[in-house]
Amino acid sequence: MEWAAKNFDFVLQLSLTHVLISLVPLFLGSVFAFALVRLTPPKLAGTIGTTFSAIYAIPSLAIFVALPAVIGTSYLGPTNVVIALSVYVAASMFFSTRDAFNQVPQPTVFIARAQGLSPFQLFVHVELPLAIPGLIAGLRVAAASTVSMASIGAIVGVRNLGYLFLDGFQRKIPEEILTGLFAIFLIGIALDIGLMALGKALTPWTRRSAQHA
Amino acid sequence: MTKQIRKSIKSAIALSAVALLGLAGCADSNSEPLVIGSQAYYSNEIVAEVYAQVLEDAGYSVDRQFALGQRDVYVPALLAGEVDLFPEYTGNLLQYFDPEATATAEEDVYQALQGALPAGLTALALSGASDQDSYNVTSDFAMKNNLTSIADLAGVSGLRLGGAPELAERPYGPTGLMSFYGVTVEFEATGDTTVESLVAGLIDMANVYSADPRIQQLGLVTLTDPQGLFLSSNLVPIASDAVNQEARDLISAVSSAMTAADLVALNVRSVDEQLSSAEIARDWLVSKGLID
Amino acid sequence: MLSIGELFDWLTDPENWTGRYGLANLLVEHLTLTLVSLTIAGLLAIPIGIAIGQSGRGETLVIALSSASRAIPTMGLMFALVMLMGVEFRQFAVVLALVGIAIPPVLAGSYAGIKSIPLGIREGARAQGMTTLQQIRHVGLPLSAPSMIGGFKIAYLQVVSTVVLAPLVGLGGLGFGIIQGLALRDFAQLTGSALVIVLLSITGERLLAKAQSKLDRRLTH
Repeated sequence: MEWAAKNFDFVLQLSLTHVLISLVPLFLGSVFAFALVRLTPPKLAGTIGTTFSAIYAIPSLAIFVALPAVIGTSYLGPTNVVIALSVYVAASMFFSTRDAFNQVPQPTVFIARAQGLSPFQLFVHVELPLAIPGLIAGLRVAAASTVSMASIGAIVGVRNLGYLFLDGFQRKIPEEILTGLFAIFLIGIALDIGLMALGKALTPWTRRSAQHA
Repeated sequence: MTKQIRKSIKSAIALSAVALLGLAGCADSNSEPLVIGSQAYYSNEIVAEVYAQVLEDAGYSVDRQFALGQRDVYVPALLAGEVDLFPEYTGNLLQYFDPEATATAEEDVYQALQGALPAGLTALALSGASDQDSYNVTSDFAMKNNLTSIADLAGVSGLRLGGAPELAERPYGPTGLMSFYGVTVEFEATGDTTVESLVAGLIDMANVYSADPRIQQLGLVTLTDPQGLFLSSNLVPIASDAVNQEARDLISAVSSAMTAADLVALNVRSVDEQLSSAEIARDWLVSKGLID
Repeated sequence: MLSIGELFDWLTDPENWTGRYGLANLLVEHLTLTLVSLTIAGLLAIPIGIAIGQSGRGETLVIALSSASRAIPTMGLMFALVMLMGVEFRQFAVVLALVGIAIPPVLAGSYAGIKSIPLGIREGARAQGMTTLQQIRHVGLPLSAPSMIGGFKIAYLQVVSTVVLAPLVGLGGLGFGIIQGLALRDFAQLTGSALVIVLLSITGERLLAKAQSKLDRRLTH
């Protein structure tokens, strides 16, 4: 594709920004959701869940433009978009994290506690490792949504791959739009494979048991 | 290593060197990068790139904040010091600050703009390159209805006007058409599909920027504007107080050097050759001997 | 910043509700695009989902498709299709993009719904001599309905979200207030339109979620 070759440096720059704009919210949102799941009392869980469902239902452009009015960030610049995307990730990861920990088998937890593990040791050595598959699955879904949603940030001036869609449509250059689609697809796949690899690396026992089976 | 990456490293080194000088106690106005903004309009972005490259060539560090959107979004940023330099259009900017402005001729608009700009912003040298809103129709439509000026539209019924969504509220939009020419239109927010919609017959008249190469390429007819609905609008650099005199002179030189034909040619390169604004800007500056 | 009073005034001003670009017409346009796309997607995805769920063939395709679809940049897809088909067919192009976005979740929901029906029940129906069509009508559809509606719920949200971008290709829909409000720096219009969009999404989502849980409860008491 000629256009992509001619503008490779530029597309690379946009891609780097795009990756950053996707990774930072992914991290912030998951950490926030994680803290909420582990640290809030069960009574509040229902309310938090409903709030997050509602937030997740809101179209991203609507949040990008409404957030500055609500919390006073500027319309310009990535801060607004990063915060909004983090909120989306948090909303999605809240349910994934909760489910991931809920499906840790109770008998395993009892046995560990009976063996005298402290709550902290229980968390680090039993619950967390067993929840990792669920967490990774949730992260993969959140990553895919974030990477594609981030492109809408270009409408409020963020210089990421979404710019290729807007500029390509304005100048009527189809290759530019296709380059954007392809680049986002590549980033999505790379993130997905990366997360899958991370999951495998963090759960070595699943690999070993498969070998012995 | 690609030129872009080399350039970034160059600016990083320049920035660090300047920062060191600053730390050593030498007050240097070059220590803060100049922020150059642009509209979400490829033509405007090319001009912003031209400003950026001229300054970088002279040793300034530049932070590009392109595609900021509409005037209503970036003017506050200019006033707040978040953006330092911006390529603007005299007529539209004058109307933004002084909706009652009566000047229509090129020089008058420039003078009026200088007076209307708030404290903290200055208009640098006026460019001969004009790029303003204009109403266009297809040549078939013009022939069929005998149209040469906007006034001739008064006799046509069922007119559909296309343009960006904000055109509905602009003084030269439907309300202006009514008050200046007695022309009634139905507005369709066609946005970036405006020219295609005009050619496809989905709308009858369209607001197209005068430097848009497609006007000539598609044989569109620009209706004349005897009543001065549109103010004459030329490219002009708008600078905040953060831009020092040396930088201002550099930018003014560039601005004066750009002619109307130059601008159309730059736009053609963008749309036809599909080059990036950085490349187009560099080629033009080199061809004019403004950078090496 | 915007005050609640200014927002309220904008939302209650009848001028903002009337006319081609008034909220009322924009809402109708938005809903029309959404419902048309969801219907077409359903007509295509449900039969395919049921077929794959019953036969078990093509499973990997469904799973891959539904996770890949989350990664589609809707704005890029819409622009690409409109450019491809030309501006005269932009409504068709946009509906096509929306259907493309809606099919994966509905397909996944239908497939998962059928798959989750216990094998004993499915075989029981076949043993009773029901034809395939009867099996689907009396067993398959009712039992997979909650999951299907779940799929529609996800599709609804993604479609409503994408229609917000339709004004960028010269169509209508509630996104117009956001695009024009952003350009004119009319924060009341911006936030007011965003609010109406939010209400539309959440209301639809809640309705579908309720339908889903009602059908679910009916089947599992």
